Amino acid sequence: MAGTIASAIYQGLIRRNAVYLTSIFAGAFAFELAFDTGSNKVWDAINRGRQWKDIKHQYMVKEEEDDE
Amino acid sequence: MSLSSASSSLLRVCARQQLPTTSRAAVASCQQRRGVSEASKSSSFQSPFGSSEEYSSTLKIPNFSKYSSKKSPRSNQVFSYFMAGSLGLASAVGAKATVQDFLVNMSASADVLAQAKVEIGLAAIPEGKNVIIKWRGKPVFIRHRTADEIKEAEDFDWKGLRDPQPDQDRVQKAEWLVMLGVCTHLGCVPIGEAGDYGGWFCPCHGSHYDISGRIRKGPAPLNLEVPQYSFPDEDSLVIG
Repeated sequence: MAGTIASAIYQGLIRRNAVYLTSIFAGAFAFELAFDTGSNKVWDAINRGRQWKDIKHQYMVKEEEDDE
Repeated sequence: MSLSSASSSLLRVCARQQLPTTSRAAVASCQQRRGVSEASKSSSFQSPFGSSEEYSSTLKIPNFSKYSSKKSPRSNQVFSYFMAGSLGLASAVGAKATVQDFLVNMSASADVLAQAKVEIGLAAIPEGKNVIIKWRGKPVFIRHRTADEIKEAEDFDWKGLRDPQPDQDRVQKAEWLVMLGVCTHLGCVPIGEAGDYGGWFCPCHGSHYDISGRIRKGPAPLNLEVPQYSFPDEDSLVIG
């Protein structure tokens, strides 16, 4: 079973260098997206309630009232 | 123990013998003596590679099966390639982030970008009036030109000017003239509605600009510069 998976990976991705390199760069792109999104989520979770986007509604509502 | 002492004494003898005799003879005698001594020695030490006395044991190969992988060669190969590819992936992401950080560092910051554009309501500017606003630290002249002034600017034979430029190249809408208020001579701020041509006059060295901001008289080499601007709707103007 492991051997078939390994040979499938080898035949599919590694055998041709162009495919190998392309998959590395595609993986880098996907990894970067996932890493950025994930680290932003972690940051927002740690700083919940302290960022401008969390408290913005309290002030923006007041401003609208002032305008009216 | 016996081997080491025997070989060291042998070496000592060889070294001594090399002095009086010729070198070739000494080496030959050393080899001869060595063969004799090795044949005569009886050691309990068992070399893993066998010894020259037993011919069959020269082919004795140590058993490395303990270290060999139980997986198939292909999966080991895939593992190696995966690790190399992961390293490539990580370095690609790192290189991209590094380059991007440098480039972002070089680009304009948010406060600069916020000042880069200025929006002006045009309804407040009556016809025939100048407005001077500050944009990127420089004055900008906005003139709401009257129909007479537009006609004067357009009908003038601009081909004979120092910096020949037709009026339609300098305005987007004929009634709105937008220019940087910096004299092209030495950078003074010209005075509006002054000078011999009804446009601008630079008090520093006496440059006269006409109602289209073109240089007509005096030391300035070029017409007043026209910044990038646009009219998002009828009543507003965005410079920048």
